[in-house]
Amino acid sequence: MLSLLIWLPIAGALVVGLLPGENPRLVRLTSLAIALSMFVISLALLGQFDLKAQGMQMSEFIPWLPVLGLNYSLGVDGLSLPLVVLNALLSAIAIYIIPPKAERSKLYNALVFLVSAGVYGAFVAQNLLLFVLFYELELIPTYLLIAIWGGQKREYAAMKFLIYTAVSGILILGATIAMAWLTHAPSLDMSAINVGSLSASAQVVLLVILLIAFGIKTPIVPLHTWLPDAYVESSTPAVILLGGILSKLGTYGLARFCLGLFPEVWSNISPYLATWGASSVVYGALTAIAQKDIKRMVAYSSIGHMGYVMVALAAATPLSVLGAVGQMVSHGIILAVLFYLVGIIEEKVGTRELNVLNGLMSPIRGLPFTSGFLVIAGMASAGIPGLVGFIAEYMVFQGSFTSFPIQTIFCIVASGLTAVYFVILLNRTCFGRLDNYTAYYGQTNFLERIPALVLVGLIFFLGIQPTWLVRWSETTATVLSTKPVAAIQSTITELTIQ
Amino acid sequence: MVQALFQPRPASMAADKLPPSHHPHADIIHRLEAGGSMLPDTPENLMQIIGLYKAYAVPMDFYWRDLLYIGERVFLDPLPFFKYFIPQEYLDLHNHYAGDDADYRIWRGIATAHPELLEFMARGETIKIPKLLHHLYHDRINMEFAEECMRAMLWHRRMYCPANRFDPYLDSDEYKQNADRAIKAYFQGNPVMLGLYRVFPDLFLEQCRQMSYYANLGLFWEVMAPVFFEMSDIYDEGGFKTVSDAMNFLVNGIFIAAGRPIYHHVYIRGECYEIIPKSKGFMWLYEAALPYVEAVFYRTSPFRGTKSYNAQAHQVPDHQPDFHYGILYADVFPVGTAGIPPTLLMQDMLHFLPPYLIDYYSKHCRGEDDMLIQLGISFQRSMYNVTSAVIQALRTALLYPLDDPSPKHLMANRKFFEAQMNRFLRPEARLRMIQSQDYR
Repeated sequence: MLSLLIWLPIAGALVVGLLPGENPRLVRLTSLAIALSMFVISLALLGQFDLKAQGMQMSEFIPWLPVLGLNYSLGVDGLSLPLVVLNALLSAIAIYIIPPKAERSKLYNALVFLVSAGVYGAFVAQNLLLFVLFYELELIPTYLLIAIWGGQKREYAAMKFLIYTAVSGILILGATIAMAWLTHAPSLDMSAINVGSLSASAQVVLLVILLIAFGIKTPIVPLHTWLPDAYVESSTPAVILLGGILSKLGTYGLARFCLGLFPEVWSNISPYLATWGASSVVYGALTAIAQKDIKRMVAYSSIGHMGYVMVALAAATPLSVLGAVGQMVSHGIILAVLFYLVGIIEEKVGTRELNVLNGLMSPIRGLPFTSGFLVIAGMASAGIPGLVGFIAEYMVFQGSFTSFPIQTIFCIVASGLTAVYFVILLNRTCFGRLDNYTAYYGQTNFLERIPALVLVGLIFFLGIQPTWLVRWSETTATVLSTKPVAAIQSTITELTIQ
Repeated sequence: MVQALFQPRPASMAADKLPPSHHPHADIIHRLEAGGSMLPDTPENLMQIIGLYKAYAVPMDFYWRDLLYIGERVFLDPLPFFKYFIPQEYLDLHNHYAGDDADYRIWRGIATAHPELLEFMARGETIKIPKLLHHLYHDRINMEFAEECMRAMLWHRRMYCPANRFDPYLDSDEYKQNADRAIKAYFQGNPVMLGLYRVFPDLFLEQCRQMSYYANLGLFWEVMAPVFFEMSDIYDEGGFKTVSDAMNFLVNGIFIAAGRPIYHHVYIRGECYEIIPKSKGFMWLYEAALPYVEAVFYRTSPFRGTKSYNAQAHQVPDHQPDFHYGILYADVFPVGTAGIPPTLLMQDMLHFLPPYLIDYYSKHCRGEDDMLIQLGISFQRSMYNVTSAVIQALRTALLYPLDDPSPKHLMANRKFFEAQMNRFLRPEARLRMIQSQDYR
C-alpha cells in the first residue's frame, strides 16, 4: 500500500509525460485521475491504521544495497500518516489548479507528481539513506516548478531554493553517514541505529547538523531567507506544495530524527530550541505585518507558524507533540487555501499589492466568494475558535506552557500579531471602496471555487470535530514524548550501575 | 409634439473664430461649442442613454405621482406608513404633457400611469401577492430614492438665487401664514397635534417646507417622464441619429416646460389649501429644473455616517466644491460610495430595461451578474447628457447663439462653458471617464 503511494505518482509522471501530442484536456483528466487515486489510497491508509498500536504499521522491507546499509524500508505511524494524507490532498489540489492552458502542461503535471512521490517516500521511509534519497528526489522537480512557471524573479528564487535545500540535503546525508560510521550500525534503518551509544558531544554535533538541515527546510529564522523569494515567485500549485507540504518535511525531520534519535540531547538543549522557535514565531509575525505584498505576507506568516511546531517539539510533552502534528496539518491546509486565494486575486485583479487592492468583497464587481474564504482562512490562521487553527495552536500552547512558559507566552502574543496582519490584509483587500474605474475583474466560477470549498470545509470540520485531527497521532505523540524521559532514566541507570 | 427650437449648426463657429481653449476639458468645450454634448457622440452612447431614459421614465412615472400624493394628501401625517401605497386616483391622474387632454403633448402615449408600471406594481419581480408583502420585500418601486432627491433640494438652500424665488419664499411670512392655515386645518379636532404645533411651531413648518419640495419635485418629474418616454419612442422609430439629437430634444423640452407653474396645494377634507399658490408665478425652469440639477446631479447628500450636517441649522455648505456627491461624481458601486444612493434607482430601472440594453449589458463585464452596475454607468452617461442639455439651455437663455458671428459673443459663450467645466475638474468627477466607451 505504501509502495503504491510512492510509485503511483512516479508512474503517473511517466504516463502524463508520455501522453501523445499536446492535448491539455487529456493531460488534465489523466493527471486528475491519478491524483484522486492517490488521495483515495491515502484515505484507505486511514481506514487500515490501528489507532492503538505503537510503532510502525503497514511496514514493507526489501533489502536493497546492504553494503551501504540501504534498505527499501517503509512504514507509517501517527507522525507520518496525517502528513501522508495531507500530501495526497494538496497534491490533488495542486494538480487540479494547474491552468489547463499552462505551457508545457505535461511537464508541469509530471513534476508535481515527482514532488509528491518524493514527499511520500520521505514521510514513510524507515531507512535514513532512503529518506535522504526521497528528500533529494523532490528537490529538482521543485526547482523546475519555480524556475519554469514562476514569477518575474523565478530564476533567482529557484536557484536560491536549490542552494539552500541542497545544503540541507547534504547536511542530512553527512549526518546519516556519520551516524552509521560512529555507531557501527548494521544498516541505516532507523530501528538499527542507536545514537545513544555515542558520546554526548558527538550527539550534540550530529543533532546540530540535523537541526540546521531541517531548520533550513522548515524554515526557522535565520535559515529562512530562501522562503519569501521561493514562495512569492512560485506559481500557485507550486507554492501550495512548497508551503503546504514540503515545509513539513523539515518539521517532520525535527520530530522523527532530531527528537526521535537524540531524545536526551534534545531534552538538554530544548530551552534553546524553544527560544529559537519562539523567536521565529515573533519574527515571522512582525515581518508579516510590515509586508505590502499579500503573498509575501502569507509567506512570512508561514515562518511564524512553523515556529510553533519547533516550540511544541522542544517541550516534547504528549500534548505538545500532538499539537505539533496538528499544527503541521492545520498549517498545511490553511496555508494552501491562503495561497490559492491569493493566487486567484492575483490572476483576477492583476496585483498583490495591499496599496492597490481594495473592496474585493463588493458583491457585484468584486470577488465576494474569494474574499469570504480569505476571511475564513485568515481567521483560521489567527486561531479563531471553531476553526482548525485554534485547535492546533491551543494544543501547542497548552502542551508547551508547563515546560517553557515564557517562550509560550511569546507565541501567544505572536498569535495575536497574526490577527493584526490578517486584519490589515483583509481590511485593505476585501473591504473599503472598489472604484468602478478599475474594477473589471473576472468572476470566479464554481470549478475555481472547489479547492477553496474543500479546504475551507476541512478547516471547519477539523475545527469543530478535532478528534479527526489528533486521533491518528495520540499514541505516537505519547511514545515520542516519553523518549527524552526514557533516555535520561536510562543514562541515570547506567551511571548508577557504574 | 416638441418643436425644434434649438438647432445648432453642425460645424463650430467658435472653432473658426476663436483660438483653441486651453482648459483641461478643452476637447469637451469645443464639442459644446459645436452644439454637442459632454457625452461623446457614438451610437453606443446613444443607445445606452435612450435605453436608460426609457428605464428611468417608468419608475419616474410612479415617483411624480407619489410625490404629489404625499405632498397633497399625506401631508403631515405623523405616521405615514402607507405613503408609498399610491391610491388609484393618483395612478389615474392625467399627466399634463401626455395624452389627448395634455396642456402640451410631449409624449404621444397615455396620460395615466404607464402600463409597464402598473404591470410591475401588480406582480413585482416575484408573484402576485398582497401589496404589503411586495412592499416589505422591497419588490416595488423604491420611493426612497425620490425622497432623497427631494431632501437634497430642501437642504441645499439658496440655489440659483435670486432667479430661484421658491426657496426664499419658504421663509416668507406669507408662506408661514398659508402653512399655518393648512396645518391647523389638517390637525383640526386633534388636540395632541395642535398642542405640539403650539409648542414646536418650527418643527411643523419645516415639515411643511419639505412637503412643498415633494410637490416641487413631483411637478418637475411630471414633465421629465413624458419627455423620456417620447425620446425612447422616437429612438425606437429610428428618429435619433446622434447624442446631440437627443440632447437637443431635451433642450427643446426644457424650453417648452420652462414656464410651467410650480405650486403646492394640499387637499384636506375636500378643501384645497394653497400653501404655494400658482399665482406666485414660480416657474418650472428656475424653481424646479435648475435647483434639481444643482442639488441632485452636482451635490446631493453624503451618506449618513460619512458626513453629517444639520440642515435645519443651515450647516449644509453653500458652495458646490464642498459638496460633490451627485451622480456626475458618484461611484455607482453600491459599496463604499457616497451621495444619493443611486442603488435603489438602479434597482428600479433594472425592471424596465429595453431588450436591446439587456442584450448589450449581457455582452460586457459580468453580463447579467453586474447589469446593475453597468446600467448605473449608463445612467451616469445619460445624466451627463441631461446636464449638457441644461448647460446648452442656460447658454441659449443667458448668452449667445453658437453661430453668433461676433468673436466677443463667442468668447463669452466659451467663458460660460469653461466655468461649467471647472466644476468637473475635481478628481471625483466622472466626466473624463465617460469619454471612454470602456468605462462600464
